[in-house]
Amino acid sequence: MASTTSLKPIPSINLPSQSHRALASNFSYSKPFPFHGLNLSWVTETSSFTSSRSSNPFTTTAFFFNKFKQEAAPHTPKPTKVQELHVYEMNERDRSSPAVLKLSQKPVNSLGDLVPFTNKLYSGDLQKRVGITAGLCVLIQHVPEKKGDRYEAIYSFYFGDYGHLSVQGPYLTYEDSYLAVTGGSGIFEGAYGQVKLHQIVFPMKLYYTFYLKGIGDLPAELLGKPVPPSPAVEPSAAAKATEPHGSIPNFTN
Amino acid sequence: MAASDKVQELHVYEMNERDRGSPAYLRLSQKPVNSLGDIVPFSNKIYRGDLEKRIGITAGMCILIEHKPELKGDRYEAIFSFYFGDYGHIAVQGPYLTYQDSYLAITGGSGIFEGVSGQVKLHQIVFPFKLFYTFYLKGIGELPEELLCKPVDPHPAVEAVPAAKACEPHAAIASFTN
Repeated sequence: MASTTSLKPIPSINLPSQSHRALASNFSYSKPFPFHGLNLSWVTETSSFTSSRSSNPFTTTAFFFNKFKQEAAPHTPKPTKVQELHVYEMNERDRSSPAVLKLSQKPVNSLGDLVPFTNKLYSGDLQKRVGITAGLCVLIQHVPEKKGDRYEAIYSFYFGDYGHLSVQGPYLTYEDSYLAVTGGSGIFEGAYGQVKLHQIVFPMKLYYTFYLKGIGDLPAELLGKPVPPSPAVEPSAAAKATEPHGSIPNFTN
Repeated sequence: MAASDKVQELHVYEMNERDRGSPAYLRLSQKPVNSLGDIVPFSNKIYRGDLEKRIGITAGMCILIEHKPELKGDRYEAIFSFYFGDYGHIAVQGPYLTYQDSYLAITGGSGIFEGVSGQVKLHQIVFPFKLFYTFYLKGIGELPEELLCKPVDPHPAVEAVPAAKACEPHAAIASFTN
């Protein structure tokens, strides 16, 4: 196959030790949302939400199964050229993100906690604002020996008029990971492959390398020579200010 | 034609051994009956289809869509991944019906599963503790021997062999996800 990606274990990132818990608690979003008549003011750290969650919530059910006969669809070969796309995700603390929903109601990060989020997205050369990320992290488990957490992340990268890419996979706060590219729209329609997530500064700066298959040639605007990731990287002033020459057409905001 | 055209079957058992705090039933609908609004994050262990090797975990969530009183069960929309240690992961999305089998879409993968497509059949053995999956995978290279096996036929008393439960080195894949 044309594309092989290294499966070597990625060395853990050195994160500031104070990190996660302190930062996460700063992000508990305390404004109540009026929403379908439900008062959601319980999404604060000091939760007054009383869960009626019982220890045995599932009723045992009798079940029967239908056997579905599935016909295999004829295979249409996809082009197997791999295109690399580099982007920076930056949390500039102006999108009320993340929203840490401590629905587990436990003091330690636990299964049940949900973290919707949305950050800004810049081209890999940090010269252009392209759009945003948007989606959800599902806390799966706290990993005490790594001083971090495992999330299942389901989200999209928005590239203005170009379209979007959707991904699903592991977000480990203590090391790099690969997520699956599940699809896309616009120029990314039919996209598949994987994306490498590299965390630079938890949880403010992340660097992604997409290995994309199944799409046409990417526009030059998205393919500038990427800036190597380091803690001090910042987008260009024009990109931050979303000046016309520092952003793509109708960048997502 | 290319190896990626053929369909490869992979069999996996998902077992809830009640030691991962899972599932976390979030009754956000605030109704006494399972209702739209309820969300169920979960994470269970997975074993090879012959129940002789521990492979990794599932991780994701079920979104309660509708309670089906006439079928004494529920429809969920499930979005989750299967983790195969250093081999990578497979991401899926689709229906989870507590009262019958279903097929979910394989939306993608990483590592040896990079570029994967196809579908997976979910067969529930004992709700919600034991499930048997048959993956129909396309678009990837030959699966490693270690993941292929003659599966144990699903029945309510199936259990992973003690060595696999204990994750002894010969009964677990290298760097199995935990």
